[in-house]
Amino acid sequence: MADLALAGSASTATTAPISTAPTSTASSAANRSLRPPLIAGGKTPSEVTADICQPLERRATPLWWAAFLPSLALLLVGVAAVTYQIRTGIGTWGLNKTVGWAFDITNFVFWVGIGHAGTLISAVLFLLRQRWRTSVNRAAEAMTLFAVMCAGLFPIIHMGRPWLAFWMLPYPNARGSLWVNFRSPLLWDVFAVSVYFTISLVFWYLGLVPDLATLRDRLQKGFKQRLYAFASLGWNGSLKTWQRYEMVYLLLAGLATPLVLSVHSIVSFDFATSVLPGWHTTILPPYFVAGAIFSGMSMVLTLMIIARVTMRLKAYLTDNHIDAMAKIVLVTSMMVGFAYATEFFTALYSGNEYERFAFLNRALGPFAWSYWIMVSCNVLTPQLFWWRRMRRSLPVVFVASILINIGMWFERFVIIVISLSRDFLPSSWAGYTPTWIEIATLVGSFGLFFTCFLLFCRFLPMIAMAEVKGVLSS
Amino acid sequence: MSDQDRTEPRTAPDGTDQDGTGQDGTGPSVLDRRGFLKAAGFTLTGAVANGCTPAPIDQAIPFLIQPEEIVPGRSLWYASTCGGCTAGCGALVKCRDGRPTKIEGNREHPLSTGGLCAVGQAALLGLYDSQRLTTPLLAGQAADWATVDETLRQRLDAIAARGGRVRLLTETLNGPTERVWIERFLGHFSDARHVVYDPLSCSAISQACRRTHGVALTPRYRFDRAEVIVSFDADFLGTWLSPVEHAAGFRAGRSLEGDPPRLSFHAQLESRLSLTGSNADRRLVVRPEAIPGLLGELTRALARHAGVSLGNGPTPAQAGASAIEPAALDDLATRLWQARGRSLVVCGSQDVDTQVLVNLANHLLANDGATFDLARPSRQRRGDDQQLAELVRELEAGIVDALLVRGVNPVYDLPNGSALATALESEKVPLVVSFASHHDETAAVAGVVCPDCHALESWRDAEPVAGLLSLTQPAMRPLGQTRSWVESLAAWVGAPATARQLMRDTWEQTVYPRRLAGAAETFQNFWDQAVHDGFVEVEVEAEVEVAVDGAPLSFDIAVASRALAAAGQAPAEPPTDAFTLVLYPKVAILDGRHAENPWLQELPDPITKVVWDNYASLSPRAARALGVEQGDVVRVDVGNSDQPVFDGAPIELPVVVQPGQHDRVVAVALGYGRGGTRRFSELGPRWLQGRRTVAPGETVGRNVAPLAIVAADGQRHNHRSGVRVEPTGARYELASTQTYHALAVPDALAPVSGEPRPIVQETTLPAYAKDRGAGAPHGHLPGGDLWPEHPYDGYHWGMAIDLNACTGCSACIVACQVENNVPVVGKDEVRRRRDMHWLRLDRYYHGDLEGDSDAEHEGEHGGGVDVFHQPMTCHHCDNAPCETVCPVLATVHSAEGLNQQIYNRCVGTRYCANNCPYKVRRFNWFDYPHRDPLENLTLNPDVVVRSRGVMEKCSFCVQRIQEAKQQARRQGRAVADGEIQTACQQSCPTQAITFGDLGDPASRLARQVDDPRHYRLFEELNIRPSLGYLRRVRHRQDDEEIDHG
Repeated sequence: MADLALAGSASTATTAPISTAPTSTASSAANRSLRPPLIAGGKTPSEVTADICQPLERRATPLWWAAFLPSLALLLVGVAAVTYQIRTGIGTWGLNKTVGWAFDITNFVFWVGIGHAGTLISAVLFLLRQRWRTSVNRAAEAMTLFAVMCAGLFPIIHMGRPWLAFWMLPYPNARGSLWVNFRSPLLWDVFAVSVYFTISLVFWYLGLVPDLATLRDRLQKGFKQRLYAFASLGWNGSLKTWQRYEMVYLLLAGLATPLVLSVHSIVSFDFATSVLPGWHTTILPPYFVAGAIFSGMSMVLTLMIIARVTMRLKAYLTDNHIDAMAKIVLVTSMMVGFAYATEFFTALYSGNEYERFAFLNRALGPFAWSYWIMVSCNVLTPQLFWWRRMRRSLPVVFVASILINIGMWFERFVIIVISLSRDFLPSSWAGYTPTWIEIATLVGSFGLFFTCFLLFCRFLPMIAMAEVKGVLSS
Repeated sequence: MSDQDRTEPRTAPDGTDQDGTGQDGTGPSVLDRRGFLKAAGFTLTGAVANGCTPAPIDQAIPFLIQPEEIVPGRSLWYASTCGGCTAGCGALVKCRDGRPTKIEGNREHPLSTGGLCAVGQAALLGLYDSQRLTTPLLAGQAADWATVDETLRQRLDAIAARGGRVRLLTETLNGPTERVWIERFLGHFSDARHVVYDPLSCSAISQACRRTHGVALTPRYRFDRAEVIVSFDADFLGTWLSPVEHAAGFRAGRSLEGDPPRLSFHAQLESRLSLTGSNADRRLVVRPEAIPGLLGELTRALARHAGVSLGNGPTPAQAGASAIEPAALDDLATRLWQARGRSLVVCGSQDVDTQVLVNLANHLLANDGATFDLARPSRQRRGDDQQLAELVRELEAGIVDALLVRGVNPVYDLPNGSALATALESEKVPLVVSFASHHDETAAVAGVVCPDCHALESWRDAEPVAGLLSLTQPAMRPLGQTRSWVESLAAWVGAPATARQLMRDTWEQTVYPRRLAGAAETFQNFWDQAVHDGFVEVEVEAEVEVAVDGAPLSFDIAVASRALAAAGQAPAEPPTDAFTLVLYPKVAILDGRHAENPWLQELPDPITKVVWDNYASLSPRAARALGVEQGDVVRVDVGNSDQPVFDGAPIELPVVVQPGQHDRVVAVALGYGRGGTRRFSELGPRWLQGRRTVAPGETVGRNVAPLAIVAADGQRHNHRSGVRVEPTGARYELASTQTYHALAVPDALAPVSGEPRPIVQETTLPAYAKDRGAGAPHGHLPGGDLWPEHPYDGYHWGMAIDLNACTGCSACIVACQVENNVPVVGKDEVRRRRDMHWLRLDRYYHGDLEGDSDAEHEGEHGGGVDVFHQPMTCHHCDNAPCETVCPVLATVHSAEGLNQQIYNRCVGTRYCANNCPYKVRRFNWFDYPHRDPLENLTLNPDVVVRSRGVMEKCSFCVQRIQEAKQQARRQGRAVADGEIQTACQQSCPTQAITFGDLGDPASRLARQVDDPRHYRLFEELNIRPSLGYLRRVRHRQDDEEIDHG
């Protein structure tokens, strides 16, 4: 483990000199020689620190401003739209008596899905000893947090009376026996999403602590230094500290792993436990989880490729990383495609006319265009990743990842809107057209997401320095 | 307090109206409520002033001494007569704290037997209309009654002195009081005439009776006694003569009671799909021009059956061979003949010769006196188009000195209205007096406007059917300075008195002598009883036209034969590219008199489901041929028509593609384009992408009255041949509450195409006679349940709706809207599919929707479509899908099986609505404004007004359940079966809705649930709805395909 002992060596003496990353087993060490290095360029630990800290310690680049200002503008558009909507009423959305949910819950499920990649990469891949994760886990976790924040916004603003959103919480109150309804999947959502957000936040923050200490130590004085000092919780880099840190990290990873499965399963219960044809299907939980990982990975790919190009992190986000993530995307795409086919088969085989119609109507009805966008983006596009050259071509992967995210947004739109628009009684069948307010709200959620992400890139190390040092090739 | 106290109508106490202030007290105390409040306020002020603390009195104070009948929060019911149209249905007016809050049908009333149509229910809003005139107008300026009376008395006296011509133009008025006072008023002048017309005229009927029976009467058509009904274009369930009465009668003949089950046969021959046609067992689609010929053929066939010779005429083959299959007509004739004396032929035509044929057919069928009742004739439409035409000529000639207009709006609703307006404006008529309650099109050209009271504010009487007097009593004091028009007439001829006094005197002199044997002994008792009941049956008055010797009415067969010969002359075949324009009244809007009522504007048309507009209906095939689809604007041009045109300007209207309509017919509704509808530009929520209901300065729809025809004999005809229809290329988005119309899903999306969903189930009479459960679909029903059922120790409320009784008339929708404070949302919100009605009527078509089938005979054009009506409201499921999904328990199950919506707990996730298979939940997308304080008086104080962001839905009228339960509890008993009537149930003219306790095996509801016809919708979902339907039974053969035509 001598090489690894060096990995943690930092530019300052107080930072951890060692990293006992649990990945450093004998077998993986043996394998490593057979694999290309995870970090290119033969970086030394101090170079790593310098590379990763430099964006934080410089003035913001014009490129950063060029990204940040539009993001902020989009966020403000969203804020204006939501303010107007809350002031005037949900009527400013294109919903109607038949289609009670559309953009709102589509966006919610979309963002929750995006939020899956972080935990998957940090916790599941951590437990599975996938050492390449170190380059992407910090950013992926941050992305998770911001995505879940965006997601959490929609169930609140989609309410007719959002100022009463706290009624969804089972808190002691003076309303006698009035309590929340534990039978309602929406309530399960409240718990699932808030637990997921809490664990993700703690996990992310815990991973940040050694790096915050590094940042603290690189500064001599000033407000920023004091802020980093406060946030790094008195990290001293002692062996004992590292040992406890590793243990807590491992435990949290174990805790977070079931959440990867539970959050989206529970989100899918919103639909699966209903009576609506097209929603009422038992396949939804695994299908949603696969879809969430699929979309989350694609979003990670999108962001990583941007970061790699704009922040000159090619050495840390190598083609191997892109390749590995593309493989996950391919696998989950196949799972999602299989789910689409299974759903269709089940519906047609069921002999239930409402069920059959719901699925034929998806593929051939008035919203068929959205169904076929979904299929072509989610099932056909990732087939490119069977070829190694495609997996390693940045433009191809970038475009594909965006298409997949569009496709995954439409998957939720298809499930929610098409199923609602034509259900049991033909008399109630209705269409749906979004209003500008709804579009502005969706755009605003992207504004929120990118604003947060860009601030994160500017003020926190977007690659886990301490962890990367653990996977440097000797 | 007996149970009767709650529902029994109250008698307005006598003797409170002596002071002539119009204080027609509805309270019994010496001191009325307002007076009391004043006194109490004064006392309190005094007491407070004594303590040197001045305090304004701005709050309501409870009664110190409670007047005997006024209990705050308790309703009083007054028996009255509906003033919505001239049909004269009995009504009960519910008053709460001195204001009417609901109008319902009077169960005891012999004519309407409990139902009340949508228009009648909605008339309540007219009472609280802030745009009603509140003072008389002299030359457009507000004036007081003394000035107006003085001015008019002088001018009328001057006219009388010089022997000038006075004309009184009114709608049908059949009350004795009005008749007496009109006579007295007109008797004041040497040349005075009373001209009556109905915008929806039926005058050809009485003209025909004058020819055939020698008396100008409208028979009372007894649908309740008819076993075979053949209707030629008469929308008797929707808009014709007396729809509530007809619907109740029609229902009586289709009760399915007995063995073999009783079900009348109803055939409808019509050009467009009317509400009545949608209920027909057999529907034949013919253009209006073919109807005389077809009636002629039918009459000849009946004559052959009867062995009566009607002289020579063209053979059926010559007369109308192209109209329908001869076999179909023969079949109708045979059916009619087999049921002679128990059959009925009716016709909506305005052609006197055609109506003569109807009389002849009924005469041949021995229906005279049975289903065709001239002994107790209808007086619901007494308009005389020929006299009207004469009056118009006089007016245009400028030889009339004074015109008084009451209850009609000739400038708007006559075809030559604009010419009339010019004549009236140009002072050809020196004195024009209007009694309109609004500043309508005619009032605008009248020099003097003397606003009449609303029906709920006035004493009136009516005799809708000879021998049945129906009485209107005020339910509140007039809101403004309006005055009953009879009072005005009396004042102008120097006999001022209150309307009540005038009416009482008239009754004492003319009605009381007609009392039936065994009636009350004194006039006072007779009067009290009449006011209490709202109606009284008396001896039939000898009509002046009837021969004095009282000989039975004779039938003039010679006249009929001549008419038959005329009908034999087939109409000239119109050019194939020309359309026949059919003008028709809609169920809610009728002739436009209630066009300013937003409840009625937002009531979906029972057939098209379109609101807030009139439009050009075209058959699918015609629309295809023109290359237009729903919402495309077409130009309807009558300019080239060979009949005279009053206003030749082409009119542009959006298209509605209407299955079941004749391919060469374009149908447009009357009653739109009223000037008063400009007020609706402010209606509905206003927001960024919100559009106005009407653009500022524009009206709702277009007025098509100028397109009607006035024939040489003065008869107004509502159809016109040779009309061109051209696409304009423009688009117009109509607002419709239902946009998919078939019972089957689109063929492309169905594994088994064309199969209707088993939503509305029906069977045929022969199948039903064999097996009462016929028509049930095959399918799996869920077996046992893992979970325990809801325990019901007390009541378990449920409902059953008999689809065989429901005609789709939509009265229930307005009843529910009034009862439950359902807001009006405006055209744009309906376009966005956000109508708020808790109860809706789903209308489905099945059959040849696209007009694909090739038709050899004209009768099959646009035929082959079956129509289904299904009232749809909350099913109050035992395993309600909405209840489990609400995160905050805002919708919960009550111990009595009600699915309750708790508005103040609702946070508005809309999950419940998504999960409702019936889609009956309604969301408050906006704060629907209640800006008009006067209009807000219609709100039912027992029901919460919901705020923005909460879900709402049918509650089974829980406020009525609670009221009845409280009543029963006070009396220490259980709620009796039938004691609770939901608003929809109460209003239903055919009593299609039954509400009751599912747990009580003796209840009417439990019997219906046990009926083999009973089914529950989506039972396979195991949601266990408490609402069920009774399967519809059609009177047709098993093998009779619907496209037989």
